[in-house]
Amino acid sequence: MVKYATMPVIETRNLTYTYPEAAKASIVDVSIRIEKGEFVLITGPSGCGKTTLCRCFNGLIPHFYHGTLEGEITVAGLNVKEHPTYEMAKYVGLVFQNPENQLFALSVEKDVAFGLENLGVPRDEIRSRVDWAMKITGIYELRERAPYELSGGQQQRVAIASVLAMKPDVIVLDEPTSFLDPLGAKKIFEVIHRLNRELGITIVLVEHRLDLTVKYADHIIIMQDGKVILEGDPHKILDSEDMRLIGVGIPKVTRLYQLLKADGVKFHGKVPLSPEEMAEKVRRILKTHD
Amino acid sequence: MSMFDGLKYRRVFSPIHNLDPRVKFTYACIIFIVAILFWEFIPLLVLFVIQVPFVILARVRREWLRSMKGAAFLASVIFTVNFAVSFINSGYMITFVALEYALAMTFRFLVLVESFSIFFLTTSPDHLGLALEQTRVPYEFCFAFTTAVRFVPVLAEEAQTIMDAQKARGLELEKGNFLRRIRNYIPILIPLIVSAIRRSLELAEAMESRAWGVSKKRTNLYELKLHGSDYVLLTVTVVLLVAAIYVRLYLPVPRLAEIFDYFAH
Ligand SMILES: Nc1ncnc2c1ncn2[C@@H]1O[C@H](COP(=O)(O)OP(=O)(O)OP(=O)(O)O)[C@@H](O)[C@H]1O
Ligand SMILES: [Mg+2]
Repeated sequence: MVKYATMPVIETRNLTYTYPEAAKASIVDVSIRIEKGEFVLITGPSGCGKTTLCRCFNGLIPHFYHGTLEGEITVAGLNVKEHPTYEMAKYVGLVFQNPENQLFALSVEKDVAFGLENLGVPRDEIRSRVDWAMKITGIYELRERAPYELSGGQQQRVAIASVLAMKPDVIVLDEPTSFLDPLGAKKIFEVIHRLNRELGITIVLVEHRLDLTVKYADHIIIMQDGKVILEGDPHKILDSEDMRLIGVGIPKVTRLYQLLKADGVKFHGKVPLSPEEMAEKVRRILKTHD
Repeated sequence: MSMFDGLKYRRVFSPIHNLDPRVKFTYACIIFIVAILFWEFIPLLVLFVIQVPFVILARVRREWLRSMKGAAFLASVIFTVNFAVSFINSGYMITFVALEYALAMTFRFLVLVESFSIFFLTTSPDHLGLALEQTRVPYEFCFAFTTAVRFVPVLAEEAQTIMDAQKARGLELEKGNFLRRIRNYIPILIPLIVSAIRRSLELAEAMESRAWGVSKKRTNLYELKLHGSDYVLLTVTVVLLVAAIYVRLYLPVPRLAEIFDYFAH
């Protein structure tokens, strides 16, 4: 069998980083490989280094934060250590936790245009790309509003549109919904899911609410104390025994499945990640009992 | 209430709002120059009155009145001081010259406030930033300007939140003498400053992530273009300037004393 050597979008080898003046490294020996078009979920307890890892993806580490970065990191074929953040920005879009502090302009469309203006893209093309990005993220009607007039969820969609307009290969979102209400959060996840499925953009999502997100993921990375401790197919990872020990919130349906299985209920196939998958399994069992 | 209320922009749609900010700014500056050309009361009064239609056309009458009311106090100070000085200089006599001079100085100030408040009341900060950019002011400066405007309401809200939180913990702002009251504000200022610094770091990070700092020439989503109405205002402004210079150089400007004499006989 021929295995095609696909080009990973993000690849790190033994990546270790220490913030300036910090006593210990915030990420340690991280080696991961993210393929093109994947939906990757990064999770782990607070302070385990998720944000720090995201900052490495577009070169904020080491160019903005300095400190000592060891190991190798390649993103979109570029060695991050040699390319400043403004160059990486064409390939990697970063969306941050606090929606308020990543919008600077006085109107939505001006904000979405910001990156393209910096890159010196011609006006006509900025216009069409900005409109396109605003439509996909569902903020076209808000284009003339000021960011402070918007809800957190709307602001976060503006932030997504503003990186989307740059047509990056990868969009990295660091807990984009932690300031939002559940409904706003759900909308954000749906937008992200669309970007992944319809446009083939690689998504790296940092999130601790697995309940809402794991069903979208192709690949899950679990971190603890700066290290990657589990990684792979979410169906396999969530079924493993170690999961419960780490204190990562397993989706409730998955937990229910595990409890029933421990009681001797015989399920078929993979561990369920969403209520729909669980319902399907229960249906099948009920059918065989008829 | 203050005369700076006249500088706060409120979103309305009017023919004046749609004018090019650069043209409006030129207009305000030229009005100022014309006001300096005259030290007689009549032309300054005319200059004041001919701007009123602009205010009405721009539908900002209420805001404009508020800023003129705010300016009234300073205007009366200017009047009193100028009048008193000429009163003393002329040997403690009330003369038309003294009255004219004091009135002229006062109206020069009012004309200035009037024209610039029209400018600020009808120009959105966005437009202003854009005008700065397109007059080749360094982009960093324009960016600082629009970001400051963008974050004023955010910081104001935050200050209010911190104030409420500290009051809930028993901080009494209005207690004690003057120095004591200033000291009372420290528990509000420190969290506010810390949070502003944190905020600016996050902003810097987000800017970097959106390709801030590429040395290539920046482009802009919007372009300011002069339209028909801009040329009209520009023409009016230039005509006004030329006429004012002509009047100043070749025509006698009526003085209060002369008008009074004319009616007295
Ligand atoms: N700017 C910084 N300077 C110094 N140390 C930092 C900085 N940012 C984070 N750290 C440290 O690095 C470690 C990892 O932090 P990081 O923010 O990456 O964690 P996280 O997984 O994103 O946590 P959370 O879920 O709370 O967002 C922590 O010990 C933290 O104290
Ligand atoms: Mg974090």
